[in-house]
Amino acid sequence: MKAELSARMKVTLYGLLCVLLIPFVFPTWWMVTSSFKPISDIFAFPPQLLPQRYDWTTYSKVFELQPFVQQYWNSAYIAAVVTIGTMIISSMAGYAFARIRFPFANTMFMIVLLGLLIPSEVTIVPLFQMFLQAGLVNTHWPLILVPMFGAPSIFATFVMRQFFVTLPVELEEAARVDGLGRFKIFVRIALPLAKPALASVAIFTFLHSWNLFLEPIVFLSSAEKFTLPQALTQYTDAYGGPMWNIQLAAATLTALPVLIVFIIAQKQFVEGLAHTGLKG
Amino acid sequence: MAVAQDHVPSDARSTSPFWTVARRDSLAGFLFIAPQLIGVIVFVLVPLGLVFWYSLHEWNVLANTFTYTGSENYRMLLSDPSIVRVLGATAIFSVGLVIFNLSLALLLAVLLNQRLPGITVFRTLFFSPVVVSLVAWTIVWGFLLQKNGGINGMLLVFGMEGPNWLREETTAMISVIVVQVFKNVGLNMILFLAALQGVPKELYEAARIDGAPPFKQFRRITLPLISPTILLTSIITIVGSLQVFAQIAVLTQGGPGLSTTVLVYYLYQQAFQFHFFGYGSTLSILLFVIVAVLTFAQWQMRKRIVFYES
Amino acid sequence: MAEVTLSQVRKSYGAVDVIHGVDLEIRDGEFVVLVGPSGCGKSTLLRMVAGLETITDGDVRIGDRIVNDLDPKDRDIAMVFQSYALYPHMTVATNMGFSLEHRGGSKTEIAERVNWAAGILGLEKLLERYPRQLSGGQRQRVAMGRAIVRNPQVFLFDEPLSNLDAKLRVVMRGEIKALHQRLKTTTIYVTHDQVEAMTMADKIVVLNGGRVEQIGAPLDLYDRPANQFVASFIGSPAMNFINGTITHDGFVAPGIVLTLPEGVRGLHDRKVVYGIRPEHFTVDDSGVTMEVLLVEPMGSETQVTMKLGETTITGVFRERIALTPGSTIRVRPELASVHLFAADSGQRLN
Repeated sequence: MKAELSARMKVTLYGLLCVLLIPFVFPTWWMVTSSFKPISDIFAFPPQLLPQRYDWTTYSKVFELQPFVQQYWNSAYIAAVVTIGTMIISSMAGYAFARIRFPFANTMFMIVLLGLLIPSEVTIVPLFQMFLQAGLVNTHWPLILVPMFGAPSIFATFVMRQFFVTLPVELEEAARVDGLGRFKIFVRIALPLAKPALASVAIFTFLHSWNLFLEPIVFLSSAEKFTLPQALTQYTDAYGGPMWNIQLAAATLTALPVLIVFIIAQKQFVEGLAHTGLKG
Repeated sequence: MAVAQDHVPSDARSTSPFWTVARRDSLAGFLFIAPQLIGVIVFVLVPLGLVFWYSLHEWNVLANTFTYTGSENYRMLLSDPSIVRVLGATAIFSVGLVIFNLSLALLLAVLLNQRLPGITVFRTLFFSPVVVSLVAWTIVWGFLLQKNGGINGMLLVFGMEGPNWLREETTAMISVIVVQVFKNVGLNMILFLAALQGVPKELYEAARIDGAPPFKQFRRITLPLISPTILLTSIITIVGSLQVFAQIAVLTQGGPGLSTTVLVYYLYQQAFQFHFFGYGSTLSILLFVIVAVLTFAQWQMRKRIVFYES
Repeated sequence: MAEVTLSQVRKSYGAVDVIHGVDLEIRDGEFVVLVGPSGCGKSTLLRMVAGLETITDGDVRIGDRIVNDLDPKDRDIAMVFQSYALYPHMTVATNMGFSLEHRGGSKTEIAERVNWAAGILGLEKLLERYPRQLSGGQRQRVAMGRAIVRNPQVFLFDEPLSNLDAKLRVVMRGEIKALHQRLKTTTIYVTHDQVEAMTMADKIVVLNGGRVEQIGAPLDLYDRPANQFVASFIGSPAMNFINGTITHDGFVAPGIVLTLPEGVRGLHDRKVVYGIRPEHFTVDDSGVTMEVLLVEPMGSETQVTMKLGETTITGVFRERIALTPGSTIRVRPELASVHLFAADSGQRLN
């Protein structure tokens, strides 16, 4: 690519990267370490990069003050359902738009793409009204259905379509000669080969659902129905001020598992997302 | 896509089955897209129609009134003293976010595009905030940005007194932008990195033989060749910035004053805190128009600005 | 094994006709090659036999069934694709057994058939590999294995060798031919390479612009091409053509007079195209004088580009003749190998 860097250039570059890294890494570090500090040390001066004293009761309070296990489960199962559902819906639609010739396919593709212009923030009022009429407010249905069919899933369909377009036609023709019908071609040939695209769809769909905030606070009202992002903001004192150490402990519990999965599978994450070019 | 017309032979024979390949394929096509299409209609397009319908009504949920008022809400929008400040905050937030995000992403991508041992570790770390739960990330930053929080503590160690970041108009806006940028810049960084790696290295070799200095190589070769990615990321980022809600809700609640009240947050307040569903719907239409116009504008710009498209 | 009959087969995409009424009879066990320039419709025709393209009009018969409306899987055919189309996510064994799996064969039956096919093609040691771990020639063999494994009535090959390098192509050509001699399955083979057509076919079908130009045994096409297109397409280097008129003196073109064989005197004053293959010249002092433009010695033979009147002529000589560009040479076209075509229609006249 470029010419070999001189040793001095290398040192400068490493130094620059380390400085730039601070705002990316330090908050996570600060979150984890502060969550172990007693409340009295949390705003101590000078700032303690490592806890001087440990207060383990903070973590038990996370579970005492709110049904945190239930909320964790809510977030996890909703994200799982949305992710699997989106993978099924978007791979089928993406495959059909890429590979099957049928009447009005173009028109229908345009209609679906139109949905990309309409984030759920725009339609939140009628969505609330619709789910209210259906008696589904304060249930998890809106949190599942809206992303599974709205803009995130349309984006997934687009990603899948782009992938299937590149799949060699002759593979499917060989499968037809081998005796497979359309559905079997999809399941046995197209889908197994689409694993990289499916992986990126899974990753961004999961992250989107896991981070969902507006929908939960609009649709959910009881603590045992809450999802994690919403639950984190609920650890407040009588005056509405945040109980920092408990919030940070809960935030740590929320962030760490995904972070660990990411570090284990970082290659798939980074490359998967690079291939789709998704939203910021 | 052309419609696959199945030809009926001129001497149509009785053996000709009804379910020809083309017909079966059409059926399969409809069935495959049905979930997505029906879902989009029910959960996106119908609500969009409804939001327009609602915007023509005065609708107070608490008072339980739903009256057709025509363009009243739109007139109200034009005379709403807050809306100028809200749109101003939205514009500052979006533009600031895009500029800061893209320049940082490009800088990081260029730095990470060097062949150095351990560079993938840096890549992973710069990317890591993307997978940290959004609200968790925001809470930590909120904690760091407190008057007596970590950042001001660090500044004080060096003898500087920091402002009350989230309680002053200018610093509050800077804070929400910065928090959002560090959260998601990794995505754009990865996209830029992929684009940089797609530039044929022969071009750089040719430029070096022609005697072009590194900066000129960057300006005359790298930038034009990655311009499609720059455009793509800028539109993704700007449309995404219009949907930023959690960060505002957690960090500043739109304050101080209206200084960080972006359109989505204002919409949420009007509809779900003050229960003005009609006016909230009008604001939704405004948001939709802005998103649509920006998307359309990028579509047009693609032809003019992008030098090169693979 | 079966006969394949095409009668008045047509194909059109909207208003554009790509196949204009093709008639073709293929005998049981015959190896037929469809050959023609790209875009001539040969692949489309093959894919219509396979059932991958619909038939606009006419009938395709395999054995005693009209298969127009049948799915590929119900036609009892097997196909080898240009890209081989091996399933990347399956092993060689699974690839080969995949079609049997969908026809309800038992596991042991499938394994038996796969082993039988692998044995014929020398793939026994590769059965557990994935396609990406194979060389081009091995992939080609697996594609053939997948075709023969279920013993179909007809094999269809769509330019199967075009992705191989020149040397391997010759080897695989031989293997396909040997396979056919062993299995005696009716085969339709599409290629744009006339050498493949000549060396492999029992019968060649030359296609051009969606029409059949000529059907015949390889040597018949070489010796007596029905028209100028076939004449130019079959044989390498290509046949020389000279535009001119037939007179009392023989064939006359600006600066050229050539003797004609007997029996063409009746074509007086006609505008014709005189055709002669490069290999049908003899060096002879009583021959026509030509200017030497270029000499290309190949070892076994020498290819000489010459100028005759205003026409550039290619000659191939077995003997090693000492020539330099700019000198002249006297050569005599072999009378028995002269082809005459009508200048307007291109049809053969003699």
